[in-house]
Amino acid sequence: MKKTIINIVLILTVFIIYYLQSNFFNWFTISGIMPNLFVVFVLFIGLFANKTMGTIYGIVIGLILDLLIGTKIGIYAVGLGLIGFLAGLFDKNFSKDSRITIMVMVLASTIIFEVIRYFLNYVLLSNSVEIMNFVKILVIEVIYNLILTIIIYPLIQKAGYYIENEYKGNIILTRYF
Amino acid sequence: MYRNKKSGIIGIIITVILLILIVIFSNGENNTSFFENAASNLVMPIQNGLTYLKNKLSGNSTFFTDINNLKQENEELKQKNSELEQSLRELENIKTENNTLKEYLNLTEKYGEYKTVPGYVINKDISNYSKTIVINIGKKDGIEENMTVIADQGLVGHVISVTDDTAKIQTIIDTASSVSCTMSNKDTIVCKGTLENNTTLKAMYIPTEANVIQGDSIETSGLGGIYPKGIHVGTIQKVENTQNITDRYALVETAVDFNKLDTVLVIVNE
Repeated sequence: MKKTIINIVLILTVFIIYYLQSNFFNWFTISGIMPNLFVVFVLFIGLFANKTMGTIYGIVIGLILDLLIGTKIGIYAVGLGLIGFLAGLFDKNFSKDSRITIMVMVLASTIIFEVIRYFLNYVLLSNSVEIMNFVKILVIEVIYNLILTIIIYPLIQKAGYYIENEYKGNIILTRYF
Repeated sequence: MYRNKKSGIIGIIITVILLILIVIFSNGENNTSFFENAASNLVMPIQNGLTYLKNKLSGNSTFFTDINNLKQENEELKQKNSELEQSLRELENIKTENNTLKEYLNLTEKYGEYKTVPGYVINKDISNYSKTIVINIGKKDGIEENMTVIADQGLVGHVISVTDDTAKIQTIIDTASSVSCTMSNKDTIVCKGTLENNTTLKAMYIPTEANVIQGDSIETSGLGGIYPKGIHVGTIQKVENTQNITDRYALVETAVDFNKLDTVLVIVNE
């Protein structure tokens, strides 16, 4: 029962993020560059729920995005699915209690996602390659994502532990001993 | 945990303020003008007063002798000024009239033979690396894949997929898009989108003997099968000469302002 409620809330969040991304962050930009909240969101699900959920959510969100605004179907799906899977691995190897580790994870996953997407775009759509411009945009995007992560960190933590309790049982106590 | 709670909240507030400041200051001069105005309003009255005082003090010796000459000169200048202003107003009227007439002529000449369907832009891409847009007309209005999309000023892009009520358009500034164009001297070039900004295209494969002129108007050539011939794309902004003349390129400024694009026309008949 609780799990269904969690899932409904998560799906609603996907749409909220989509509207934020396509309306608000279209003009609230750092020199014309917007953040990528979907990466943060999928990373968050993979970290606090589990690996399978992260991957499934990544692929489903990716497919929706591909259908809504993508040029070729599958580019977002592959990228976000991989981020969900990676988040599961992060969860096994790192602690989630400090802000810094979460920020490093966001940094890593944003870079991985954008590089994969750029590579797939290059292979599938024969983009012209502009490494310097790509890196410039990527750096600003990563910084923007990090700033947003700092702002929403308390929310991530609270909601995250609530979800973790549901999916993995109460393991928060054992972590400290 | 509880020990840092207060400092955590302060940190978040500081970050939010920082983010807003970064966004305001990084997006060109339009947003900063408010702050500049405020700052100059604080300083300028005093500055003006001081300058006035300084000029008065330093120019005191010739103040009384010049005053009669100045009065005379002033009257002459005033008369001249009013005459000039009148002629300027007339000129401006003629200019605007000329412009509107020219626009009408061009539009009917260029796009009169195409049957178009108007549509609104309802969604823009959410990523930084591709520039597709979604418009509010689709299969029900007779839109199909690979149809050309234009705006009043020039070429926008082409349709890549349609649903019943919407159509997805790949704009010409997308990095995956390339348009075959001609310059005014009939030399063919290929215009590609760049990541660098939203208003320039990179014109590549310029023939070695071609003479590229700054400010030259660029049109579609009709090669490639998607875009019909003779649609205005933009003007050449700059020619970049590289060591080898075969790979020199030009930057083309698009006629359409993609940041403010909201209505488009889809060419329905081919």
